[in-house]
Amino acid sequence: MPSRKNLPESRKRIALTVNGKKVERDIDSRMTLAEFLREELDLTGTKVGCNRGECGSCTVILDGDPVLSCTVLGVEASGREVLTIEGLASEGELHPIQEAFIEHDALQCGYCTPGMIMSIKALLDRNAHPTEEDVRKSIDGNFCRCGSYPNIIKAAVVASRKINHK
Amino acid sequence: MVASKLLVKGVPPPALDRELTVVGKPLNRRDAAEKVTGQAKYSGDIKLPNMLYGKILHCPHPRARILKIDASKAEALPGVRAVLTQENSKGWRTSWYKIPEIAFPEVFTHEGGEVAAVAAEDVTIAQKALELIDVEYEVLTPMLDAEETLKAPPPPLVGDEEYPGREIFDRKPFVIKRGDVEKGFQEADVIVEETYTTQVSHHGSIQTRACIASWDGEDLTVWDAIQGVWYSKLALADSLGLDPKNVRVIVKYLGGGFGSKAWSHRITYYAAKLSMLTGRPVKMERTRGEEFVNHSRRWNCRIEIKMGAKKDGTLTAIYQRAVANMGAAATGENYYCMQIIWHTANLHACPNVYLEQIGVYTNRQITGPTRSPLNMPAIFALESHMDRMAVELGMDPFELRMKNYTTYQTVGTDESEDPSASGKSYDTKIPYSSKILDQCMKLATDGIGWEKRKSLNPMAQGAVKRGIGMASYIVLQGVGLHPYVAEAKVAIHNDGTINLFVGIVDIGGGQQTILPMIAAEELGVGANDVLVIYGDTKDTPYAPSCHASRLTPEMGPAVVQAAAEARQKLFGLAAPLLGVGVDEIRSKNGELYARSDPAHSIPFGVVCSKITPGVPIFGQGSRAPNPKEPMMATFGAQAVELEVDTETGGVRILKIAAAQDFGKAINPKLCTSQVYGGIEFGIGYALTEEGLYDPKTGMLLTSNLHQYRMPTSVDFPPVDVSLTEVEDPYFAYSAKGAGENTNAPTPAAIRNAIYNAIGIWFNDLPITPDKIIKAIQERREKGETHAV
Repeated sequence: MPSRKNLPESRKRIALTVNGKKVERDIDSRMTLAEFLREELDLTGTKVGCNRGECGSCTVILDGDPVLSCTVLGVEASGREVLTIEGLASEGELHPIQEAFIEHDALQCGYCTPGMIMSIKALLDRNAHPTEEDVRKSIDGNFCRCGSYPNIIKAAVVASRKINHK
Repeated sequence: MVASKLLVKGVPPPALDRELTVVGKPLNRRDAAEKVTGQAKYSGDIKLPNMLYGKILHCPHPRARILKIDASKAEALPGVRAVLTQENSKGWRTSWYKIPEIAFPEVFTHEGGEVAAVAAEDVTIAQKALELIDVEYEVLTPMLDAEETLKAPPPPLVGDEEYPGREIFDRKPFVIKRGDVEKGFQEADVIVEETYTTQVSHHGSIQTRACIASWDGEDLTVWDAIQGVWYSKLALADSLGLDPKNVRVIVKYLGGGFGSKAWSHRITYYAAKLSMLTGRPVKMERTRGEEFVNHSRRWNCRIEIKMGAKKDGTLTAIYQRAVANMGAAATGENYYCMQIIWHTANLHACPNVYLEQIGVYTNRQITGPTRSPLNMPAIFALESHMDRMAVELGMDPFELRMKNYTTYQTVGTDESEDPSASGKSYDTKIPYSSKILDQCMKLATDGIGWEKRKSLNPMAQGAVKRGIGMASYIVLQGVGLHPYVAEAKVAIHNDGTINLFVGIVDIGGGQQTILPMIAAEELGVGANDVLVIYGDTKDTPYAPSCHASRLTPEMGPAVVQAAAEARQKLFGLAAPLLGVGVDEIRSKNGELYARSDPAHSIPFGVVCSKITPGVPIFGQGSRAPNPKEPMMATFGAQAVELEVDTETGGVRILKIAAAQDFGKAINPKLCTSQVYGGIEFGIGYALTEEGLYDPKTGMLLTSNLHQYRMPTSVDFPPVDVSLTEVEDPYFAYSAKGAGENTNAPTPAAIRNAIYNAIGIWFNDLPITPDKIIKAIQERREKGETHAV
């Protein structure tokens, strides 16, 4: 039965680092990290394709680990460090993963792309020399309905080589 | 000079008599940087000042009547700005796939029908408001299974219950016939009869439908998620009673369509109505569950095929009866009354056919375009049956297809959607504008190592058996569709700026990259020298929606014509500078030159400086309809190598070789991506994806991405893509459409490979591990072994 009570209201102050910048906000405690990024910070690169941890399009990196930001509460991210797709390029220079995605056409509609790239970023951070199989496993929670998987896998391997040669 | 056959209105421009410098290059897509940096703003990413958030209350029953509705508590909730129900919307009709349906009806004919719409200050309040609307339903007995429904007369209508299009389509057999099918079966040495079933499948675009509608008292502006801005504009104008000039629709990025966003949808209509009521912009965004229930699905079908052949493999007769579960509403825009049988009529040569397709109205979820809509069941059944026939004849499946290869067609593309084309006898053999399916079949089978197939001995393998299979396909999409209206405009300015105006949406196929490549080639400039204005009905001429692989084959010729007209005008300015006649001038790589003396050239920009400032040169292009002759279609073939684990029933695809006849790829990099995309859909349809409904209530059970199982990165095999080239003078640089249909052959190729691996035919999709295990157990109980 739907609740007939008034809407619950519980606001909490959170302070965290997003893409290297310190951020403080009062937020509704029910707000997910994905909603916080999109609604409060206007970082709409993080997409919400299902809002229940099934599609991977909301993947961001939280303290170094890839997480589904639709299943993390904003309040849980307080005191922690978040990297989103908007924080990947530095000073106007694209990250090698982004460059490889463009060159190898590792995207079509582009909606899964930010989450896909963040999953690969997390992989390359922990495994500098991934095989194609490693890449497949690292993105098996990211749906690409356009079916760009072969190009995504190729782009990830190319990007890892490029990073290693820097 | 030979007159060009390019499909444009008026005199077609002459073909460029020089090598191509832009078309055919594997360029990167233009919007890739915005997409990889998260800067691309999709409709759901846009926020307007003072914006409200809309939500819709959906009827949970497939067939039900509202007995009582009370929205007063919702209206009283602080933060709610408008509530729409049947009480304050009398006489409203929405347009969905051009189907005029009652907005907020009393009686619902499919799950997810709209009961009420709310606009509130935020989504949480809007959601809460929905919960406060009291609705009492009388649940009516639904029609669910198509075959069961066919056995009884339709139930009497209740209240305002309606089934748009029923009088045209419901329960009526649409027929394609040729020759004498009885005689054909008498002539046959072998007759094979089978029944195939295909499941409900969904689009699964990662972006759910989202829109913002903003009414300022005179003009309506909509940021939509749709595959065609012009379709949305005209549908909104029509259902809201507005002059189309007062409606503007914008789609800069679209997060996947696959047919689900081919046409306007009702949520945009409700958002517009709420904006008109409140005077504020209203955003509506679907949840994943809503997306599953409220978007169209692919028809589940039951297809009987009886096929006769002579000992040498020559087909003598095909009888087919295909039944499709249509849901509760249709027009020719979301149901194609002869599409299944069209494929059977045209893929292989057969002098005697009697093919019927029957659509049945039910209260199942609504249906509509889904990547290769009815091509999927059609090709699965036909190409599965061809392999069955090959085994019965003791022939190689590739040889059987070559034996019945055709260079002509009998039923045209547009007839597949035309109810009045039913029942005629199609005996005339009309040649194709181009066809190299034979090369595609060779490439695909060579690519997979077809010869290995014969040496795969199942007895010599362990529990994991390897198999190879193939399927070919014909596609009616990719050559344009009625009413063949597609316009393009090119402007060249004094400062050298070149604009291409096209009213298209780039749904991820790279349309905004491909069309300027065509314009650049015609003008003789670099691809990036052409700025493209697209995805907005303001300032662009009409373009079709990006569906049915129609943008390249329909817009391509229009873009060529527009660019060529502008180019010839520019040549007029260059003639005195070069001291030769206009006909002698050519352009390439940003230079204009005399044909007889290419070294004698002037830069494009220098000629542009002769254009009067503020008075740009314009060129217009307009697509002409396809002729009745020759016939036009696209083709392809796929071969699959896979392993079946006979202990778990698991299927692992090792490799797919795909070869397609699209005429020519304007951009092979983007074209290859499209092929991958089709194969992703094909693998899911073959092995895992299935929309399941509660058999009693008819409610969708699989309305999330966990239960509706689409392929992931670990399911996707290496794919060899061959893009063949063949001249087809009717299209821009021979480019037919490419995007949609490479999913069509994948399921039959997989199914035929599974047979090759374990010697069991599977006729019911998807071929899940439980079905494989059960079939192996049944065979074991019968004491049979696999002896292929």
